[in-house]
Amino acid sequence: MSKIKYLRVALIIVVSLMLALTFTLAGCKKEAAPEKEEEEVAEEAAPEKKITIGYSLWTMEYTFFQNLEKGVRDACTDLGYEYVMIDQNSDPTKMVQDMNSLVGQGITGMVSTPVDPGAIGPAVEAARDAGIPVVCADIGKSGPVNALIISDNYHGGELAAEYLHELLKDDPNNTWKFGLGNLKPQWTYARERGEGFRDKAEELGYEIASEIIVETASAEGGFDTMQQIISAAPDIVGAFFSSGREAVGAANAVEAAGKDIMVVGYNGDPEELQAIKDGVLTATILQQPYLIGYMSVEILKEIIEDGAEYEDAVVPAPVKLITPDNLDEIAKELEEKRGQPAY
Amino acid sequence: MYDVKAKKVKMKIGQLWENFGLLFLFVVVVIIFSILSPTFRTYYNFANNFRFSSLIGIGAIGMTFCIMSGDFDISIGSMLALVAVIGSSLIPKIGGIGGVLSTIAIASFLGFVNGVFIAKLKIPAFITTLGMLFVFRALAFIYTNNTPVYIQDKFWLFMGNGKVYGIPFAVIVMVICYLSAFLLLRKSPFGRYIIAIGTNKRAAMLSGINVDNVKIIIFTLLGFFIGVASVVTSANLGSANPGLMGQGYEFQVITAVVLGGTSLKGGNGSIGGAFIAAMILTYFKNGLGLLQVSSYWQYIAVGLILILAVTLNRIKYTLLGQVEV
Repeated sequence: MSKIKYLRVALIIVVSLMLALTFTLAGCKKEAAPEKEEEEVAEEAAPEKKITIGYSLWTMEYTFFQNLEKGVRDACTDLGYEYVMIDQNSDPTKMVQDMNSLVGQGITGMVSTPVDPGAIGPAVEAARDAGIPVVCADIGKSGPVNALIISDNYHGGELAAEYLHELLKDDPNNTWKFGLGNLKPQWTYARERGEGFRDKAEELGYEIASEIIVETASAEGGFDTMQQIISAAPDIVGAFFSSGREAVGAANAVEAAGKDIMVVGYNGDPEELQAIKDGVLTATILQQPYLIGYMSVEILKEIIEDGAEYEDAVVPAPVKLITPDNLDEIAKELEEKRGQPAY
Repeated sequence: MYDVKAKKVKMKIGQLWENFGLLFLFVVVVIIFSILSPTFRTYYNFANNFRFSSLIGIGAIGMTFCIMSGDFDISIGSMLALVAVIGSSLIPKIGGIGGVLSTIAIASFLGFVNGVFIAKLKIPAFITTLGMLFVFRALAFIYTNNTPVYIQDKFWLFMGNGKVYGIPFAVIVMVICYLSAFLLLRKSPFGRYIIAIGTNKRAAMLSGINVDNVKIIIFTLLGFFIGVASVVTSANLGSANPGLMGQGYEFQVITAVVLGGTSLKGGNGSIGGAFIAAMILTYFKNGLGLLQVSSYWQYIAVGLILILAVTLNRIKYTLLGQVEV
């Protein structure tokens, strides 16, 4: 038995050494091979280096991220870039591992939509050390990223307040009071939606009578929060919820309570569009994930090909107001871009 | 008829599987992905995976002890997050080294608390650790007010990203942990107590082993290793996030331990097996990701691996003639 044990230990060592050797050689070979090809190509055609964009994405489980991914992918196709995507599976550890893995593949530029924006710092540093520019598409950033492309959240909040005011300003029952379903404090960028709404509403003469943070990110969470807002301020005439499904839940809570409160959401999820169609939700602010994804690659192009300087820049992506009036038009537009029905 | 020859052949196969099966599986996984993906077979990727296998690998040591003694612990993912946020928030007051040490100390203490509940109050490990899964996570949220703690301390970050002569420091930490665990399990009386308790708790008690104390020590040790894993994980991430860290960590670790050949019934187990299994899981998931396999299919693959691992273990014990009842 002990003989087998020694044999086993010896085998483990031999296999590890062999693997290490194989991979070192494979690595060297791989690095050496493309150079040759390039030389050959260079003789025939214009000397163009192949550009590869690596994308590390939070998850493919939600429509929002699927559209973001399609934007990045389409931009790469349009610009003639190679494209590699790795799904983080909503796991911060995997995210960092993937980003390091992309650096190891020798990509030219990186796009990241991080599940944990606070945790990308060391991986971004590794990429920048290797001369790879990093652009974050939505969510947030940390470390020496070149740019963050994110919805113009503050303006989106303003749009919501303006639209509610438009509908209510001549209403004799207007109490000039709003409710606000806000996001948790760590969502630094997404919380600007609430700030934009509050600032605009106060400017227009409204009072935010009740502001409650949505604790559970779901339609149920929105439902609960709206119930609390109604209990705290029963006389509000309108409410803004800074996220999609939560707003639909909130609108349902208004119906359940038999109140006449207008609810505006934020995102443009299929559930929201359906709710606007059904007359449950008053309006929503459309984020354009496809556009955000597309813009990320365009900015990388500027950095890589045109030598543009981006350091720690925040680039706002436009948002749109969706109301029952323009719902059909926008849904058609979205369907064309996404290749699937908007709701 | 009792066929002695056939039984001998079966035992041979069983022994071969026990000794070389996992290694074989690892080589197969590496070869398959190397053929399919050119990026998988680069040295950089190989080293990167090795570094990240230590996150599951270090936790798997404590879990092997725990499962060998017939218990298990599902609170470790939440514990990982809780001690990371507490330890890293202490850095400004007591420095990086102090932060690392207190992270490990707090984790050991939490493990000790788990152990006391289980051994002294006789609450089943499943219930205790299920409860603690929620308690630890909630405490992490409360302590940080749900905001991540950023880590800037050089020493702490070195635990995850540093290199000594080109070898990732995380890997060195893991190897030291494994060597000491191996010696503890195979060369010390404590190791034999674990096996005795896992095989037959009553017999262990009657032969004079203080089962309660051994159990408390096992859970404390598990806490210790989770503390180490917590430092390495948060160093890799450059921050400690109360909500996102360690989500599903317990299942990754338990999968590694079971795949490593440790019987969920206790008594039987292998430290080296857990090590190779942690590598298999990390390389496997990385390979699937590089091949652009969607996350849904990855969940299915990991789930099937767990079931396959238990099935293979059963077949092994049948071949060896130690049928589990």
